[in-house]
Amino acid sequence: MIKRCIAQPVKNAMLFCRSNSVASLPELSEVTHENTKALSTNPLDHPDYFQVHNLFTVKDLFESRVHYGHKEGSLNENMKPYIFGSRQGHLIFDLDITANHLRAALNFAAHIAYRGGIICFFNRNALNAHLVERIAQECGEYAHTRFWKGGIFTNANHQFGAVTRLPDLCIFLNTQNNILSQHTAVRDSAKMLIPTIGIVDSNCSPNLITYPVPGNDDTPIAIELYCKLFKAAIARGKEARMKFLQENN
Amino acid sequence: MFGSVRMCSNIRRSIIFKNQRNLCSSMRLFNTDATGVEDASTKMGGFAKSYDKQSQLFKEEPEQKQTFESLLRNSKLMDLGDPVDKIVTGKIFHVVEDDLYIDFGWKFHCVCTRPTTRGEEYVRGARVRLQIKDLELSQRFLGSTTDLTLLEADCKLLGIIYSPVQSSVSEKST
Repeated sequence: MIKRCIAQPVKNAMLFCRSNSVASLPELSEVTHENTKALSTNPLDHPDYFQVHNLFTVKDLFESRVHYGHKEGSLNENMKPYIFGSRQGHLIFDLDITANHLRAALNFAAHIAYRGGIICFFNRNALNAHLVERIAQECGEYAHTRFWKGGIFTNANHQFGAVTRLPDLCIFLNTQNNILSQHTAVRDSAKMLIPTIGIVDSNCSPNLITYPVPGNDDTPIAIELYCKLFKAAIARGKEARMKFLQENN
Repeated sequence: MFGSVRMCSNIRRSIIFKNQRNLCSSMRLFNTDATGVEDASTKMGGFAKSYDKQSQLFKEEPEQKQTFESLLRNSKLMDLGDPVDKIVTGKIFHVVEDDLYIDFGWKFHCVCTRPTTRGEEYVRGARVRLQIKDLELSQRFLGSTTDLTLLEADCKLLGIIYSPVQSSVSEKST
């Protein structure tokens, strides 16, 4: 799906004031009623406002083969803290660490969805491309699983010919473009100050990713699980947002 | 680089875990016997008492939260040992003319060519027997810092276990 340009400003939305440095146009100039509305139930005060820890267990991760890594020879130095050990030369992720990171990532995704942020899914593994696009469509969010042209984030206004709103969150289900190189969007999101969630395998680099989730990114079953979890978290965020907007109108 | 997983400590931990469970279950049995004896007013006969005990036995296993270590220790991957030349079952999930993409529960799938014997039975959904040659086709080439992976396992196709295609003669493959 090619990124769509949003030219019209958001109407009548209760937008919380946040230093969103992503937008290339100051379209978010709505009146913020943050001070009048309940600061007593500020979702940011809760460690897990959307109860994302209920979405999965370590056993679910285990059965979806999330703990399988590549061979020792392709290990990235920065992934060593997340590895439990190696079995006959094949690396195994520590699912307790993975579970913590995944909970943080899901919580963040839910909060972004609660605030009406645009989420973009990335995946460059042809085996799972269709699944990711379908999940993004079902979420009501965006996906980019094709060839990435250089300046989509960094030169957006010029490339799309109009003022562009960039995503507020990038979820990488596969941070590698091919075996040899990382996806350009990881670096570009960091440049444009877009937070990223990324599933990092043992041959990937977690350095530029805001919320890395160490785990398997090659098996379709694992990707299905991640998609399901992100979809559920985003749905919870959006549902809470709808409820909030209805209460105020 | 990495040494192997600390198998000894894991085995010890799982044995301790098992022993603790046995101890707990035997303690609970003892308790149910005691409560049965105290209930003299109902005057339960021999069969009723044993039925009570048996039903308690089945009820006493709540969903034990398994740790990742115990899950890993009891997984099929550990049962495999050295994966080379082990026989596993796989399921065909994709077919491209003569190439069969087979998933056998590992991180990667393997791709095998359709055999000439009983070739038409190898369709999507068929269960096959495989012999693992290599779990991941990756190699360090001269001049590179990391391995190059093919993102595939390498297996030898032995034969068919079950095929959705109806076959008139069903014979076991050796």
